[in-house]
Order: sequence, then C-alpha cells, then structure tokens
Amino acid sequence: MSEGIDVGSPDEIEEGTARVIEPEESGFDEPIAVFHTETGCFFALDDTCTHEEASLAEGWIEGDAVECPLHSSSFDLRTGRVLCLPATQSARTHKVEVTGGRVVLYPGVDAEDAARVSEQAAE
Amino acid sequence: MSASGPARQIVVVGGGVAAFSAISELRSRGFDGAITLLSPEGLPYDRPTLSKGYLLGTEDATKIRLAPEAWYAERSIELVPERAVALRPAEGAVELDGGRRLPADRVLLATGGVPRCLGVPGGEAAHTLRDLADSDALRRALAPGARVAVVGAGLIGAEVASAAVVLGAEATLIDPVDPPLVPAVGEALARRLHAMHAERGIRTIVGAPVGIEAHDGAAPGSAYSVRFADGSTVAADAVVAGIGILPDTALAEAAGLEAEGGVIVDDTGATSNPAVFAAGDTCRRRAGDGTLARRSEHWEAAVHSGQVAAAGMLGAEPPQFGAPWLWSDRHGVHVEAVGTLDERHAPGARTVLRMVDGVPQAAFLLAADGHLLGCSAVDLPLVVRAARRIIDRGIVPDPDALADPSADPRKLTR
Ligand SMILES: Cc1cc2nc3c(=O)[nH]c(=O)nc-3n(C[C@H](O)[C@H](O)[C@H](O)COP(=O)(O)OP(=O)(O)OC[C@H]3O[C@@H](n4cnc5c(N)ncnc54)[C@H](O)[C@@H]3O)c2cc1C
Ligand code: FES
Repeated sequence: MSEGIDVGSPDEIEEGTARVIEPEESGFDEPIAVFHTETGCFFALDDTCTHEEASLAEGWIEGDAVECPLHSSSFDLRTGRVLCLPATQSARTHKVEVTGGRVVLYPGVDAEDAARVSEQAAE
Repeated sequence: MSASGPARQIVVVGGGVAAFSAISELRSRGFDGAITLLSPEGLPYDRPTLSKGYLLGTEDATKIRLAPEAWYAERSIELVPERAVALRPAEGAVELDGGRRLPADRVLLATGGVPRCLGVPGGEAAHTLRDLADSDALRRALAPGARVAVVGAGLIGAEVASAAVVLGAEATLIDPVDPPLVPAVGEALARRLHAMHAERGIRTIVGAPVGIEAHDGAAPGSAYSVRFADGSTVAADAVVAGIGILPDTALAEAAGLEAEGGVIVDDTGATSNPAVFAAGDTCRRRAGDGTLARRSEHWEAAVHSGQVAAAGMLGAEPPQFGAPWLWSDRHGVHVEAVGTLDERHAPGARTVLRMVDGVPQAAFLLAADGHLLGCSAVDLPLVVRAARRIIDRGIVPDPDALADPSADPRKLTR
C-alpha cells in the first residue's frame, strides 16, 4: 500500500493531540493514530498499544513520545520503539507527510526517520 | 562472592517483573558478561492481569509473557527454570535445588512475596492469588452460580470480586475497614469505588472472619462457612483471601543479609552484602538518613527497583524516578494513583476534588505550601499523567483548574 490518504489540514489536529484514522477510512487493517507534536511534527503509529487494548491517541504526547493511557508504556513516535515496560513490543509506524497544506498518511508504509516531515520542511 | 572488581557473572533469582526489568537494564547498559535468570515458573510473565484479563479468560498464558523466548537468546541470557535454595556469598555461588551451584560475582534477589494467609482456624482453605496456577485454580472456582467469599477488599480482592461477577459467580466482599483503600486513593474515591461493588450486586460486609469451617461433601453453596465474631456466617463454595503479601526473605536471611519486613537495600539496591542486591516486592529501601521506607507492592516500583539494582551491580549511579504510581481495574473502570493521597503523612495538606454530577472523578492532595503530593482518578488517564509531571517538576498547580472537569489536563502542567 503506497497510496497516501488526505487526513485533513495540519491545524485540524491540535498540537499535543492525535487523531485516529479508522480502517474504513484508511483501508488498512488496524486503526492508525496520527500524532501532532507540540513542536509541530506529524507521526503515525498503530493506534492500539502493543501491550493490551488501549488507544495511544488518547495517551500523553510529549516531545517525540506518547505514553499509553492505561499502563504508561512509552513509544518513540519517530521509530515506534517501545521505551519502557509493560509493553515489550515496538509499535508499527506509518509514513506521514505534510504537502500542499494537507496531512497525508501512507497506511502500511514504514516511516523511516527520514520520512519525518515537520510543517516547516513542507512549506 | 566479592564486590571487588567489575561484575562478570550475574545470577538473578526470580522470574517476576523486577528480575525482568533488571536483566533488560543490564543489557541496555551494555553489560556483556554472563546473566543467568533463575525462574522456577519458566518464561517470566506479568502478574497484574492474573486478577483481571487472565482471570476472566480474555488473555492467555502466552499473551502475558513479558517477552518471548527468543528475546532471552538474543541477549545471551540463560534461563534456568529452577529454584535457588541457598546463597553462598563466601563461595561466590548460588545453590539450586539438587545441589548444583552456579558461580556468581553479583546476585540479584527478586523473589517477590508470598500471599499472606488468613490467620484464622480453617483459613488455609482460602485461595490466594500470586501466580498463574493460583489464577487458574481461582477461575475454576468462579463458576457461574458459585458463591464466593472474598476476604480483603483492597486492590486484588476488589478485582477478584469484580471478575467473579463477570464470570457469573455470586460474590461477598469482606473487609474490616470501611471503605478500604483510603491510604492509596483518598477517602472520596475509596468510597465511590467501594460503593460500585454493591451496585454490581456484590454483598459487602464490614468485618473480619474468625474462622472458616469446611463442610465435607456438602451440597454446592455450603461447602464453607465463613464465621464472624458475632456468630453470623456466610456460606460459600470458595473462599479467597486478598490480604497482602509477605516478602520472600528466606534466602536472604539464611545468607545472613539484613532483613526487616523485607530485604534491606540502600539507594543502589545493594543489601548488607555489597555483592548481593535485591529488587521488587521483596526489598525495602533504607534512605541515606537511615529511615526505612514502606515496602512497595506495586508493579512500577518493582520495575524501577530492578533498574536501580542493575545500575548498582554495574557500579553506576542509580537512575532517579519520580512519584510512585499504581493502577487497578475493576467493574470496567481504570483507577490510578500517583504520589501519596495519605493525609496522615501530610500535616496541613488539603484535598481538592474534581466532581461531575456529585461524583468524585479525581482527588488531589495539596501540601500546605500548594505543592501537589498526590492524585488519584477514575478513568482520567491524562489527569493522572499531568499530575505526575506536576509533582515531579515541583510545579505549584492552580487548585481551581485541578477541580475543574472542563480543564484540559494537558494545560495543567504549564
Ligand atoms: C494478582 C495480582 C494483581 C496485581 N495487580 C497490580 C496492579 O493492577 N497494579 C500494580 O501496580 N501492581 C499490581 N500487582 C503487583 C505487582 O504485580 C507486583 O508488585 C510485582 O509483580 C512484583 O514483582 P517482583 O518481581 O518483585 O515479584 P514477583 O512478580 O512475585 O516475582 C517473584 C519471582 O521470584 C520467584 N522466586 C521466588 N523464590 C524463588 C527462589 N528461591 N528461587 C528462584 N526464584 C524464586 C517466583 O517464582 C517469581 O517468579 C499485582 C499483583 C498480583 C499478584
Ligand atoms: S495497554 Fe498500553 S501499556 Fe498496557
């Protein structure tokens, strides 16, 4: 899957929050959380925590990490890497880009570090 | 065992989360010596779910493992599914059941605790809950229609009663304290949480059993009688005791290590023998000023103390952590607490509540000088995460914003 989908304009997702893109919208098999960090970057991970059933979009977003709302495992938003217990499995990343004033998500496309696009870079 | 020279051979005794956290930390700090993990139950697994999802049957034994088998192999961690029977510090060895000795220049004791038994005549008939086998046995007892008497309505007892109802059993929850859990979550939330039991059809009794009588071969519903001092009884097919744990200090004491309600450790996780460290529910920290901390029985504290001990075994500075945190799940709600809600230890402190429709959602304990000491909340994860940062960063919060249900938790830390 390499087709990007438009998930809105950057200001539709408030900084420090995330929006969940459901499978119906993305065509992907899992819900995806698109995060907008306080420093203006966009990242996407599988929304469901790798530990139990929790939505990472409802977690605490700070710096380049999200802390799960249930048992507080943290995940690196750039790499999906799990940073602390109880989860031990990293989260799957998805490429996000800001182009032409739109946030474009590439469901299923692994977000390499390089794919990180800040609003600034997109302008 | 001697603490002179860097660690090359570490034996970790215990297969719980403290042990797991320590071995992860050892490798992530670049320790490339030998690590042997003595885990009598095999691959380490996580315990909190044993009174939640695993007990309900929504999670299985594979899912609750802390890591798959390959994780250990990839990190060259030797997993030995055996029990340590003695520490031989003078000989630099740990002795296993059967007499085999494992050489070690550092040992980590992470043996957890054993559930406290009901200390009344017949009390040994009660189920306790600490490991997978306990949870399996309990699930069989929580059959639809079965009558279950749960003694202790704190964290595990309340979760077991909640699971019992979901599984179709009939639960009676017994505790001498009304409401339980005040030191952990504060009075207001303790009351709200305790009231949920009755709302879910659980009978709650304030009292302490004085005896459990078994009626051999009796009809279902009257296999046991739980007896109280006033002569009243509760009939039950199964009795469960959720009344805390006793730290497992036997190995430590036999090896001459200082123990007092837990294996005593310093800020680096070292016991009174500098080559032996302890972590998790089994240990009790003595602060620099000589005061003994209360032993924690919560998950995150076990993880952190494992990381401290790992650093200590490597001679590194101990990592620092903020306010302690715990959670509990019952009746479909997620309860969390960070810091302390215990007013007894905070003279002059006051509690601020966040209420919605007359029901407390969160409680905040504020010190006399306005600093936040603790927060507990039901289904408000972002409020708890904000509170944790407020405490750790020494921010003086605006009490009105804390109490305001419409305040955005993300803004509370600013
Ligand atoms: C049912 C249940 C629910 C819980 N729910 C929560 C919760 O919701 N939130 C929360 O914060 N905390 C919760 N806890 C507490 C949390 O799980 C514990 O604090 C944590 O497991 C402690 O970890 P530990 O590694 O110190 O000990 P343990 O997990 O008890 O591990 C000790 C290990 O040592 C092994 N061992 C013992 N003796 C020996 C020996 N001689 N040789 C070798 N190995 C030995 C044992 O087999 C075991 O593997 C819960 C605990 C239980 C039991
Ligand atoms: S569900 Fe995310 S850490 Fe447990």
